[in-house]
Amino acid sequence: MTAHAATHDEHAHQDPPDEFGVASTGKIGMWIFLCSDALSFSGLLLGYAILRSGAETWPDPSDTLGINFTALLTFLLICSSVTMVLAFAAATEKNKAKTQLYLGLTILGGVLFLLGQRYEYMELYHREMTFGSSNFMSTFYVITSFHGCHVFTGVTYLTVILILVTKGHFVEDGNHSPIELVGLFWHFVDLIWILVFTFVYLL
Amino acid sequence: MAHASRKEYFVIFVWLFVLTILEVAVVKFELGKLATATALVGLAVTKAVMVALFYMHLKTERKPLKLLVLIPMCIPVVYALILCIEAAVRYQVWG
Repeated sequence: MTAHAATHDEHAHQDPPDEFGVASTGKIGMWIFLCSDALSFSGLLLGYAILRSGAETWPDPSDTLGINFTALLTFLLICSSVTMVLAFAAATEKNKAKTQLYLGLTILGGVLFLLGQRYEYMELYHREMTFGSSNFMSTFYVITSFHGCHVFTGVTYLTVILILVTKGHFVEDGNHSPIELVGLFWHFVDLIWILVFTFVYLL
Repeated sequence: MAHASRKEYFVIFVWLFVLTILEVAVVKFELGKLATATALVGLAVTKAVMVALFYMHLKTERKPLKLLVLIPMCIPVVYALILCIEAAVRYQVWG
């Protein structure tokens, strides 16, 4: 290895600041992004709460929305979170086949969730419960569609990672950090849905 | 970072599943507004914390990264508390 290449290599594998332990700069960056994204969701949920607390009448969400069906969607996202951690565990063990399988199952969970959300929106549309029909429906659509955009982004992100894994990246080479990062994003999507499900559908 | 075992992942999965069923049950049983709201918020926060600690591996991260996440998350909690107090005063919950 030449002196120049050695210097380049040294910079490429530079350790993150010691106070963050083994957390890579990518991971620190992802956490900062997720925190800012969490504040966006918090703003929407607090806006919902302010509108609801100030309203004279507010429909009971459990009468208006399909709680059992949405509970099933919640369960689906929890299952996809499990397959995501299993994909990461398989990647750390350099098991490419299992990493692909679990990433594929996670994507499937995300796609089924999106299809479920589409079905729910169509049902509400047929009952003339559209965006703008009431404060409740407007806030409902804003919050759930914002979350749906995150699921769609997650599915796209996971698909890109799966393609790269299939091409031989991130598993055999020991650089499984991108799988950990996509996992962080996906678990965040699940975590937010847990809160949205409670505050918008159940309360 | 020492990652959790597969057994731990499945234990958390079972807990998340059970707590989700409990949430739906709380709504169906109609315990009263305040009790329902308290139970639902408690269950949701517990589930969210479990995902963050075990699936996002925050449990095994170092303190600065934990604080990096914890400090910003206090802001919406403070706003939510102010909102609850304001609504309670407005609706004269305490008489």
